[in-house]
Amino acid sequence: MTPGRLLLFAALGLVSGAALGARHPRVWLALTLAAAAAALGAALPLLVGLAPAQWECRSAFPVGGERVHLRLDGLSALFLVIVAFVGGASAVYCREYWSDEDHPASAPGGRLWMSCLLLAMGLVLVCSNGLHFLIAWELFTISAYFLITLDRASRASRSAGWLYLAASHGGAMLLLAFFAALAARTGSWDLGPMVERAELAPLFWLALFGFGVKGGVFPLHVWLPSAHANAPSHVSALMSGVAVNMGLYGVLRFSGWLPVPSAAGWAVLGLGAAGALFGIALAFVQTDLKRVLAYCTVENVGIILIGFGGALVGASHGDAPWGRLVLAGALLHIWNHSLFKSLLFLGAGSVLHATGTREMSRLGGLWRAMPWTAGLFALGAVAVSGLPPLNGFVSEWLIYLGLFDAAAGRGSGAWMLMPAALAMGLCGALALATFVKAGATVFLGSCRTRAAENVHECGRLMRAPMLALGAACVLAGLAPVLFWRALSRSVGAWRPSWAAPEPPAPIVTLGWVHVALAVVLLCAAAWLWRRVRANGFRRAPTWDCGYAAPTARMQYTGGSFSGIVAGWFPGAAGPDRALRRPRGPFPARAGWIEEFPDTVLRRVIEPASAAVMRASAATRRLQHGRVQFYVVYLLGGLAVVAIFVWIGAGP
Amino acid sequence: MIQILETLARLAMWLLLAPLLPGVINKVKAWVAGRRGPPVLQLYYDLARLWRKGVVISTLASPGFVAGPAVAWVALAGAAMLMPLGPAGSAISFRGDVLLLVYLLALARFCTAWAALETGSAFEGMGAAREVSFAVLSEVALITAVLALSVQTGNVTLSDMLSHSVGSGAMLLAAGLFCVLLAENCRVPFDDPNTHLELTMIHEAMVLDHSGPPFAVILHGASMKLLLFAVLLSQVVLPVGALPPLAGTAALAGAVLAVVVAVGLVESLTARMAFRRVPLILTASFLLCLFALLLALKGGA
Repeated sequence: MTPGRLLLFAALGLVSGAALGARHPRVWLALTLAAAAAALGAALPLLVGLAPAQWECRSAFPVGGERVHLRLDGLSALFLVIVAFVGGASAVYCREYWSDEDHPASAPGGRLWMSCLLLAMGLVLVCSNGLHFLIAWELFTISAYFLITLDRASRASRSAGWLYLAASHGGAMLLLAFFAALAARTGSWDLGPMVERAELAPLFWLALFGFGVKGGVFPLHVWLPSAHANAPSHVSALMSGVAVNMGLYGVLRFSGWLPVPSAAGWAVLGLGAAGALFGIALAFVQTDLKRVLAYCTVENVGIILIGFGGALVGASHGDAPWGRLVLAGALLHIWNHSLFKSLLFLGAGSVLHATGTREMSRLGGLWRAMPWTAGLFALGAVAVSGLPPLNGFVSEWLIYLGLFDAAAGRGSGAWMLMPAALAMGLCGALALATFVKAGATVFLGSCRTRAAENVHECGRLMRAPMLALGAACVLAGLAPVLFWRALSRSVGAWRPSWAAPEPPAPIVTLGWVHVALAVVLLCAAAWLWRRVRANGFRRAPTWDCGYAAPTARMQYTGGSFSGIVAGWFPGAAGPDRALRRPRGPFPARAGWIEEFPDTVLRRVIEPASAAVMRASAATRRLQHGRVQFYVVYLLGGLAVVAIFVWIGAGP
Repeated sequence: MIQILETLARLAMWLLLAPLLPGVINKVKAWVAGRRGPPVLQLYYDLARLWRKGVVISTLASPGFVAGPAVAWVALAGAAMLMPLGPAGSAISFRGDVLLLVYLLALARFCTAWAALETGSAFEGMGAAREVSFAVLSEVALITAVLALSVQTGNVTLSDMLSHSVGSGAMLLAAGLFCVLLAENCRVPFDDPNTHLELTMIHEAMVLDHSGPPFAVILHGASMKLLLFAVLLSQVVLPVGALPPLAGTAALAGAVLAVVVAVGLVESLTARMAFRRVPLILTASFLLCLFALLLALKGGA
């Protein structure tokens, strides 16, 4: 079947899923999975080279006064694969996680909006007309809003939803300006490669910041942590793993199709490095499991932007060969990030489903009741920390390799890439610390509170998507070569001269080293376990320096774990502390609450909006409801108009 | 076939020689203090004894408690296979292998910290928190040093980076890497491997609950890591890869011995620092590596 038919089939599946889903959840799941399979069927042959590198469809049929123009090329196909794969996984997951029995009021609506979200993201990827792109973008924004606020009883998710909606529409205004300016200068809403028109270069900034809001680009990420943390977990997985990538897609798409200003590479590189550091520093100190993951998304977006900025720099410095390495690394990291981040969010969702809390200091020791979730979360933690032999390392390694090549070649401008490499090193080490803390606090040790006792492992419908995502992480780590051709198609769609279908030799070697490493790791663990069994082992309480009555509350907490590093970033990661001391001879309550709010939100956005509110309140004083004064206003206004008219008519 | 045999021989050399280093350090310390000290081969005896012993596992621990040390040990052995040995080169060499080495060390750290937190002990939590926090700075210093080497030699393959002379930045790099060596291997002044006070330890606090074969694997891995850093430091200062085989090997062995003796002397002559000072020293070592990087950038252009 042609890609066009398959895409049509996918769209029909999603539309009929949206129509039937409220009443028939099973039919909805089947239709959504069929649509995902059809979209994969359209995108994968194009990526692996079985189909032409671009599919295009121009129809005379007008929508909103513009003719339909659809296009699927290497770049959009790369993102379409993520939408289909992670979308399908979340759809399966939500059948159990957000079931009709538990959430009779919101589950049908959730299915409707999820179909809309997937459809809108698919449309964003294939629309090649500015007006239709904007319409699809708006549908995407709105359906994500309804998914975030699915649990309308919770105040936190309502306010997170509002923040998301406000920030998204701020970005959408920039995008409106971008597409309108583009259409005004080119005379048509049609989109496509127009690199030769150098006068369009300044529009890049509008695209960067307009799409950057959705992409979670620092410092425009302010909506992201609360929205991703408070949304239902299958929605968080979809938002963090897929929706954020739509913003990155926009930046990549229009920097490939339009000319870019000369400073673009440095700006993207700087934003990426700053965002990566800021994101991971805040992720490390968070106490809410899902906020950790949300800030980690800000970090990973930063790493992707480092790679992408490096590619822009490489492109503007005479097509440097390292540019294609960092671009391939950035694109692969987009894939990898959506795999392991959605795995981690689904894992966090299982924890939330079982215990009812996201607060890490209330959890602990969950591995006994939830071995599958614990194992898969640990796998995701290794992957997100960028450790070999899993997929996170492969993409970070490609970016590193490109940056190191640039530095070793000492080309012009290479010196600016070195701080980015060091920032990546810092982020890697902090990510490791973050995920040791998150995984260990939640799953290891003993249960800290009642919430962590009597928990249950997630069911099959929740486990299967996690297993699929985990398997994809392992596959991408052990056989990066399989993914190279797809990357090369996407790189070619961004910059045709950079396409290289044959994988570079080091990545082939790295794949084999990873396979060998994985085999030896498994053998060594099995061998050591056999030795322990042969020598004989017994279980005993944790030694704890011989203390006889240890309690679960004596364990090291997540807050203490990150205390050392939190002290290094007093400005960026300063906590809000609320201490209630025990008072009187019979103290009723005492408490110590430490929260790490978003610094940009707290220091920049909130003061700015407070100033706007103050100005509005001051203006409101004029509007007091006394009619006499309104008559005076009218007379004053008339007098001013009369003076203008008099002056204008004078000479 | 020959390559496989060579790799096996190389692995055997790393595995067999590594436990010698802590013995030499202890001998140097004893010599400075005027004691006789434990035999140089003490760690071999300890390892053999631990390997035969039974194991006590915390009731809270998951299978990761045993798998963690195994994975960490394999990661360190893998890093050792990437490290070139003077004229003999390395077992596996490809562009960008140096980054794999850095991240294999990180994998080992992840597994050790994870296994430490398995027990739910406050002391082990403290040790793991310190380990991963201080490693943030030492890893950045290490990456800076590697970047300086790659800028200096115009290469991103470890064996080529180490077979050239580093030039004027060598001493800066050596000082920076020596600090990183001390911090990463938990030596004085960053950590005291011999203290009996759990509150003041880093690495030792993480392995309090390990016993028997897993503990042997941890100790052996730690000694391999020490050897790895000593070999790296020696080759940064001396371009032994360019020497003829025999002289190169002898020079490498001598340099590693000198590094180990220096560690022993530092340990005898200084006291452990307060923990709040550790980040300062590590930042200083990062700055040393950064200056070496700037020198490399300015020098060869």
